[in-house]
This record gives sequence, C-alpha cells and structure tokens, in this order.
Amino acid sequence: MNPLGDIINGASNGLAEVWANKVRSLLSMSGIILGVAALVAMVGIVQGMLTNMRASFEMSGGILRLEVVPRDAPESQQHIAGISPGMTWRDIGAIQKAIPLAAYVTPEVDMRWERFIVDGRREFAFLRGVSPDFIDIYRRELEFGRFIADSDIANKSPVIVIGSNIRDAFFRDEVNAVGRQIRIRNQIYTIIGQFAHMEAMVGGRNSLRWQNRINYIPATTAMARYRGNDSIDSMEILADRVEDLPDLIEQVSNTLTQTHRGIQDFEIRTQEEQLQEMRKLENSFTYSLGGIAAISLLVGGIGIMNVMLASVSERIREIGVRKAIGARSHDIFIQFLSEAVVISVVGGLLGLAASVGLLHAARDFIPQGESIQTVPVTAMVYGFAFSSTIGLLSGIYPALRAARLDPIDALRYE
Amino acid sequence: MSPAGEIFALSDIRRTYKVGNELVHALDGVDLKIHDREFLAVVGTSGSGKSTLMHTLGFMDSPTAGRMVFEGRDVSSIGRSERARLRASRIGFVFQAFNLLPRLSVLDNVMLPLVYSRDQIKDKRGRALSALERVGMQHRCTHTPNQLTGGERQRVAIARSLINQPRLILADEPTGNLDSKNRSKIMDLFASLLDEGITLAVVTHDDEVAHYAQRRIRMQDGKIIADETRARHA
Repeated sequence: MNPLGDIINGASNGLAEVWANKVRSLLSMSGIILGVAALVAMVGIVQGMLTNMRASFEMSGGILRLEVVPRDAPESQQHIAGISPGMTWRDIGAIQKAIPLAAYVTPEVDMRWERFIVDGRREFAFLRGVSPDFIDIYRRELEFGRFIADSDIANKSPVIVIGSNIRDAFFRDEVNAVGRQIRIRNQIYTIIGQFAHMEAMVGGRNSLRWQNRINYIPATTAMARYRGNDSIDSMEILADRVEDLPDLIEQVSNTLTQTHRGIQDFEIRTQEEQLQEMRKLENSFTYSLGGIAAISLLVGGIGIMNVMLASVSERIREIGVRKAIGARSHDIFIQFLSEAVVISVVGGLLGLAASVGLLHAARDFIPQGESIQTVPVTAMVYGFAFSSTIGLLSGIYPALRAARLDPIDALRYE
Repeated sequence: MSPAGEIFALSDIRRTYKVGNELVHALDGVDLKIHDREFLAVVGTSGSGKSTLMHTLGFMDSPTAGRMVFEGRDVSSIGRSERARLRASRIGFVFQAFNLLPRLSVLDNVMLPLVYSRDQIKDKRGRALSALERVGMQHRCTHTPNQLTGGERQRVAIARSLINQPRLILADEPTGNLDSKNRSKIMDLFASLLDEGITLAVVTHDDEVAHYAQRRIRMQDGKIIADETRARHA
C-alpha cells in the first residue's frame, strides 16, 4: 500500500497510453492547448495595454491633479445664481495667493477648433489659453524653445507654443519652427516653443494623439483677444503630495465659495474617479477575458471527458483483464484519472509554450507593444493550475465508470 | 483450521442472480474441497454453473450464501479490495480468449500482475523472463500478442498466471480456441506445472482435456452431480 507509488505508476501508465494514441491524445489536448494559450496571451496583451494606460495617466499629472469645472448652482441657490461671476481669472489669483498647498495652478481658456494659417496654407487645430504652470502640471516636454512665461501673461503677448500636429502640417521641412509666425482669426502669433510628439499606444491607437493637436497661448491673451472678459473654462491644480489633497480640496472649495459669493457653481474633481474608472476597466477586461478563457478551458475539459469516456468503453475488456489479475477498483481509477491529468498537463504545457509565441508576435505586431511581457508568470501559473484542475475534474467521471466495472461482465464484453 | 493441504473448502455455496423479476440460481448448494497438487476438471453444459464456480474460486465473484474457506481462512464475505489482493497474489487465471493486452509486449503482459501486487518485488523482469522460460516463450518476449499464434498466446497467458507464484491456477476453457496440436501442448504444459506443485482447476467441455485431470467434477443446474477421482492419465 503505497499511494505515492500508485500515483507514479498511474502517471507512467497514463503517459504510455497517451503516447500510444498520439493523434487522439493531441486532438483531445487541443482544447486545453488553445484555452491556455488564449488565456495567457490575452491576459499578457491586456496587461501590456493597461501598463500603457497607467503611463498616460501618470503623464497627465496622475493622482495629484485636481480639476475645477463649472456646474449649475444647486436648486436652493438657483434664484441667486446670477450674483456669482462664474469661474474667472480672479479665481486663479485668489488660489495662488491664499493656498500654498496648490503647488501649480493654471486656468484653461478653451477656444476649441480654430483655423491656423501659415503662408496661405490652412490647418484646423485646438487652441487653448493657459498659464506657465501648465507645463509643470502636465509634465510636457518641449522639443524647442520655451513655454509661456509670467511676462507673457502680464503682457498678454501674442505668442504660441505648438504641438507636433501643427509642426507636421506647416513646418515639415524645418525641424525647429520657433520664431515662425502663425495667423489665427486674423491675429498673428509668434511661435516660442514646440512640444515633443506624444505617444502612448492603447489598443493599437495613440491615446495621446489629441494632445498633439492642442496649441497653447497665454490665458490672458486668449481672454483679451477672444473673450473680451476674464472668464475661464476650467482650472487645473497640482498638489505636491497625496496627503495634501484633502486639505487642498477644502481650501480650494472655501476660496472659490468666497470669490463666487457663496454660490456653489463649481465642482472639484479628483483623478480618483479616473483611477476608479481605470480600475473598473482593468477588472472588466480581466473578468470578460477570464470568462472567455474559462469557457474555452471548460470546452477543453468536456473534450477530455469525451475522449476518456470513449477510451473507457473501448477498453472494457482490458479493464476486466486487469481486474482479474489483481487490480483493485482504486488502481483502475488512478490509471484512467492519470491519463486525463497527463492529457491536460501536457496540453497545458503546450498551451503555455504557444502563449509565449503569441505574445512574442503581439509585441512585434501591436504598436507600442514593448510593454507586453512575453512571460506573464502569474497568468501562466493560473492558466496552468486551472487547466490541470479541469483535466482532473473531467477525468473523474470516466475513471469512476472504469473503476466500477464488474470484472466478470467486463471480461465477457465483446 | 482446515486440514493441511486443503486449499479450498466450500460448503453449501449459493450464488443467486436476479434477472428481471426472476431469480437465477447459478450455484445452488455446492460443497467442494480442493486439495494441494490436484488437477481438477469441471465439466458440464453451458448454464450448469461451472463458470460461476470458477469466478467464485477466483475471487472475482462472491457467493450469496454459504461458507468458503481459503487456506484455512473464512473468505465468505471479504470485500472487493481484499478479493483483488487475493487475485493478485494467490490465484493465476487463464482464459479461453487469452486476454493479453494487445498494446503491451509479451514481457510487459507477463509482468502486468506485478504492477498490482502488494509485495515488494525486486527483479520483476527476471521473474517474468523465467516465467516465459517455463512456458518456452522467452524468445518472443519483445513481440506483441498479435504477432503470436493462438497456442503461443495461451502460453504467454499461462506465464502471466505464473508470475505471482500462485498456489492455484484457474483455467476457463483454456484450449477452447486452439487446434488439437496446440491443445495437447497446453495440456502438457499444465501437467508439468502440476509436477511443480501447482494446483489446477480447469473448466472444459472437452473430454480430451478432462481426460488429463485426475479428478472430474460434473455440474448441472448449479449443483455438483458427480465427483470422481481416478489415477492420473500418464
């Protein structure tokens, strides 16, 4: 009585049986091979995409960034909402003056879609008014020139910092467009800086491509030339430390309540929500892909069970012989179970090998695929454990059927 | 305790099957003693209960009622796994249809019972080879069963039944699928096993085979109707 010996014996019998029926075994393995390969490869690719997504989240200030946007005053204040000046340039000044926790502050004055003209050529692009802190909040990189300076704000200078889209549209031949001029709505702007091209591939598309289409001018210039008043569309604030966020939010809220004369017509948004969204996305990816993979592995398991049942009825006589010469039900059970386990384990290993190949291919074919790991260890461990369990479970019923056969009936079976 | 030299002592053994609503008495009160070094032939028409008797003696089936003593031990109501243990260690089986596993080599077929033996056996291969030598088949040990003739297959099957050094070999129509030349070869082989001290019980309806046996039991309707012992045929 040696359970380990029984299992080793069973496994070697199982392997021999699998080897003796190579084609049939390979076919019955195929479900498991495909299931494991699909599971591991999909998880690997999704993880790579999520890595890119997290990178682009970090690039836009990450969790430290607050966004203040206008909203309708609450019902109770509707009748006096008019006394609030709304979001204005004065809010920026108030925050800068009163709240040291706000490390960086910038307004956004959004002119949306504008027609840019250089030498008679036209191109549409976004135009936004911001202040110098913008570049610190968004950690943008300049390829050439400088960003908007405090003096540009003070002087309402006609200067512009362009994105790679405009550079490509008008100045393809010259690397450095700083110093050149652009006409927008009959106003002439001098290019003082040029952003580096931004790219973060998510699902084969550059999730930052719109950022390359945005061009920036001093907020004061934008207000003076396009608004005729000091209203702004939104504001971005960056904290130094995550621990400062609760205090910062409260102080911003207090300050703006004051400048807005008590009207709650603004909303402070944290990136927490975006982070939550990202996590939700991660989870939904994980669960939906996991579900698909689980179903395909289940189908693989059913395939194994089918083959094992066929194998049992094909070998009823053999089972009878083995029992007649002394095999216990338990020996037969282990023999057939081992066969199922050997099929699923070998299938799982082949699936893992296939997934490494798939992930290598994905790295080459998917743009920005470098963040895809070719050996996602956790996914592999789960995939392998799951497929082996499925194999084990799907082997139990056929093995039980084999073990329960009566030796006399089995020997008589034709 | 049973007297020395007594392998089996069956008293009033009954085996009843239920087929539909009808009870079939395959064994209907069998009393039988089998002694060491006996060559026993069980004859009878089909349905007489001789196969059921063989299955009972071979621990493949257990009696519905009655007392069965094997080597001095009451085995009337032992469980499945204990019966498997006895099959593996004390009894050798030879079948009409040989029942070798087609995918295994001759040597592996002979070694198969050792897989299920609960004893620690060192030189499994050596044992299998010497069993094959006893039946004169050692030269075919790498062949598969379907490369052998019927007579050769049965000799391999006998080697398999010998591997666990059983005290008793049960054979169910061992020559039923063989021609007369092979039949006598097999029977000579059985006779030589008898000389080595192994007890044999053969189910047959072949008078010639029964002729070899020194004790002949005739069964009918689940009962032993004749039990005659005579001098062994030379």
